[in-house]
Amino acid sequence: MKELIEYIAKSLVDDPSSVEVAEVEGASAIILELRVAPEDMGRVIGRGGRVANAMRTLLRVVAAKQGKRASLEIIE
Amino acid sequence: MDDQARSIEVEGEDVEAAVAAGLDQLGVSRDHVEIEVLREESRGMLGIGAREALVRLTVTTPERDLADTGAEAESVLVSERELGLSDTPEDALALARDVLAELLEKMEVEAEIQSRISEPQYAGDSPTLVLDLLGEDLGYLIGRKGETLAAIQHLVRLMVNKAFHRRSHIVVDIGGYKARRENTLRKLALRMADQAARRNRTVALEPMSAYERRIIHVALRDHPTVATESVGERDRRKVTIFPRPQSS
Repeated sequence: MKELIEYIAKSLVDDPSSVEVAEVEGASAIILELRVAPEDMGRVIGRGGRVANAMRTLLRVVAAKQGKRASLEIIE
Repeated sequence: MDDQARSIEVEGEDVEAAVAAGLDQLGVSRDHVEIEVLREESRGMLGIGAREALVRLTVTTPERDLADTGAEAESVLVSERELGLSDTPEDALALARDVLAELLEKMEVEAEIQSRISEPQYAGDSPTLVLDLLGEDLGYLIGRKGETLAAIQHLVRLMVNKAFHRRSHIVVDIGGYKARRENTLRKLALRMADQAARRNRTVALEPMSAYERRIIHVALRDHPTVATESVGERDRRKVTIFPRPQSS
């Protein structure tokens, strides 16, 4: 799941070297924390959060297949 | 060009000076020559037996790559390709296929990708790049109301367009699901247009996604007696079909 988000984020930003994804094991779900360069925030969020939501949709599908729950947080 | 003419021997106070003088004479940079030291400088004793260094410089890079106008033109072409300014729909399709394959691998989805370029219905429109996924039990990739499929398509589109610096129209389909849906919508559009024309009144369709509304609009773009318009907000937005005002 980490690789998935990393791959998508790196393909969308201007500065792929600043992309970092951390996998945090939460109480009921895995939390993926995505960090990008400040000027790339818009690219991973998208208009109306469309890009972030698309990533969340894919994450949900992958997690469900593994019988897990996962959420994505974009960290400022 | 005679290669021998691009090799020279130069003397200098020391090796460094000889090389510098040689490069100057050839008018090329150090990256473009092979340097052989034929003789090191030697100070000798009390000025007796002092020798200058001797080096041979051989131009290694072909003439056309040297800093002349030909080389400039070539490097511009290369960077245009890198920037995707001179890409063809075939290039974009190949990249879209790679991006989708990588995405599926990371999602641990096994599917075959069939890709094709669909020619535009109207001259002047850009062609559509179609990526169709084939495999067992891929229904869950469509998702509720096609939500998952829409997410995949949205991301692939953004990723490809980011790499190419231009907009390609990309459609990701699963087992021809959208193609069938599109067909159904086109037939519906024609049937409803007929009804609107015959009864001379406005016909409203069910709320649809932007993609589906577009199919209706495009299907009736050249219809002789009706026109279309989308009305309503957000997920209530729908297409209406109404008789075109007749001039006669």
